[in-house]
Amino acid sequence: MRGNGTRRPVAATLAVLGYIIMIVPILFVVATAFSAGRTLRFPPEGFSLQWFEAAVTYDPFMESLVSSLYLAIGATALALLLGVPATIAIHRGRIPGRGLLEGLFLSPLIVPELVVGLALYQQLMIGLGLDNLTTLLLGHTALLLPYAVRVTGASLALADPAVEEAARGLGASPVRAFLTVTLPLLRPGIFSAGLLGFVTSFNNVPLSLLLQDREFRTLPVTMLDYVQQSYNPRIAAMATLILAATVVIAVIAERTVGFAKIFGGINR
Amino acid sequence: MSRKTALLLLPGLAFLAAGFLVPAVAMLVAPPGEETAAVVTRLAEMITDPYELRIIGRTVTIGLIVTGLCVGLGFPIAYLLARSTSRWGGVLLALAIFPLLLSNVVRTFGWLVLLGANGAIGKLLTSTGLADESPQMLYTPLAIVLGLTQLFLPLAVISCYSAVAQIDPGLDDAARGLGAGRTRTFWTVVVPLALPGIVVAATLVFAGSVTAYTTPYLLGGSGQRMLATQLFTYASVSVDWAAASATALIMTILVFLVSAVSSLAGRKGATT
Repeated sequence: MRGNGTRRPVAATLAVLGYIIMIVPILFVVATAFSAGRTLRFPPEGFSLQWFEAAVTYDPFMESLVSSLYLAIGATALALLLGVPATIAIHRGRIPGRGLLEGLFLSPLIVPELVVGLALYQQLMIGLGLDNLTTLLLGHTALLLPYAVRVTGASLALADPAVEEAARGLGASPVRAFLTVTLPLLRPGIFSAGLLGFVTSFNNVPLSLLLQDREFRTLPVTMLDYVQQSYNPRIAAMATLILAATVVIAVIAERTVGFAKIFGGINR
Repeated sequence: MSRKTALLLLPGLAFLAAGFLVPAVAMLVAPPGEETAAVVTRLAEMITDPYELRIIGRTVTIGLIVTGLCVGLGFPIAYLLARSTSRWGGVLLALAIFPLLLSNVVRTFGWLVLLGANGAIGKLLTSTGLADESPQMLYTPLAIVLGLTQLFLPLAVISCYSAVAQIDPGLDDAARGLGAGRTRTFWTVVVPLALPGIVVAATLVFAGSVTAYTTPYLLGGSGQRMLATQLFTYASVSVDWAAASATALIMTILVFLVSAVSSLAGRKGATT
C-alpha cells in the first residue's frame, strides 16, 4: 500500500479522503458515548460510563432491542426455511423458465424498501387489519428471500450434482442423500445468507418505519425517534453498543467464511 | 414440473406473493378508500407542481452528486487495494466493507456530532479563527451528501474491487512497457476494463441514494425534503394515500429507469 500510495499520489489522496468519510463519523459517536456531560457536544466533557448505564436501563431501547432480535431471528429462519428449498428446486429441478423464477425471488431487491413498507402498511395493516408483528415478519421474510436464494444458490452452483447422484447410486434414500451430501455442501452458503439476513433485518429502517406499533417497535426506528426528542449521549452509548456487537459479528464472519465471500454472493 | 419441485417452490412463492408482490401491485392500483385512477391523477398533478418538482429535483441532484463522489473515491480505494501486495491490503479491505454490516442509524448519527451546533467541525472553524461563529452545516444539502456518501461508499468499493481484481496486472505492465505513462495506463487500460464494475457501482449508489430515508431524515430535517421523507409525511402525517402512492411510484420509476439504462450500458460495453 505504501509503495502504491507514493507512486500514485492522486489515487492515494482520494482513497484517504474516502476512508475518512467512511470511518471518522463512527469514531465520533464512540467518543461522545463516554462523555460525562449532559448534551451531545465535541469535545466531550470529561469521561464516564454513565450514558451506557442510561442506555441499558432505558426501557424503550431495551424493549425494542428484544423486539428487533425476535424479528430478525424469526425472519432469517423463515427466509432460510423457504428460500433454501426454493433454491434447490431452481437449480436442480428441471423446470421451464428457471431464470424468470429466480428473478421473481430476487425482485424484492429492486423495489425501494420504503415503497414496500408503504404497500404492506396500506394493504395488510390498514386494508386487511393484520397486526404489525405479522406484517413485519411477512415483509422482512420477503426482503431476506433474495439473500437466501442468491447466496445459497452461489454455493449450490459450485456443488457437483454428480456427488449427490453417486450417493443415491450407492443406495442412499433421497432424504439421506440430501442430509448427508447436499446440505453439508450448502453449509457455508446457508451460514452467509443467515448472517447477512439477520444483520439486514436487525438494522432495517425503511421497511419497518411505517409498520411500528406501541406494543412492538424496532430498535433503529426507536433510536430515530429518540434523536428527535432528546439530544444527549444516551443515544451515542446505544449506538456504540450496537457497533461493538457488529464488530463481533464481523470477526466471526471473517474467521468462518470470509468477508469478501459473504458480500461477493449478493453483488452481481 | 415434478410434484416434488413444486412442493419445494410453493411455500417460498406464497410468502413472496403475500409479503411483497400482491401488496405492492395493489397499492398502485387501489389505495384504501380511493378511486382506481387516484394514484395516476395525483401523479399527473405532482409532476406539474413546483413544490413537488423541487423535491424530485433535489433528490435526483443529490443522487447524482453522491454517485459521482462514491465512484470517484471508491474506485481509487478499490484500485489501490486490488493492486496492493502489502499484508495491510486485507485489513484495509475489511475496514472498507465492515460499515455495510453496521446500522445506518449508527453511521449517520456520527454526522450529527460532527456537523451539529456544538459539533466538532464548527468548534474547529471557530477556534482556528476561520469563522466567527459556527456555520449552519446540519440540515443542509451538504450534510445529506456527506451522509449518503459515507453510507454507500463501501458498496462502490466492493463493486469496483471485484472488477479491478479480475484485470491481469500484466496488462498494466505491458502498457507501461510500450511507453505509456502511469496516468495514461490508468485511463486507457484499467478504467475501460473495469467499466462494467463501475456501472454496477454507480447504479447501486444512485438507487440507494434516491430511496434512502434515514440520512435525509436525520441530516436534512424538514427544510431539505427528499422523496423518501416526503413519502413518509404523506403516509403517516397527512395520511394522503394517493399522494404517498404517487411518490412511491416516482421513486420506483427512478430506480427502474437507472437500472434499465445501466443494463443497456453494460450490454453495449460487452459487445464493443
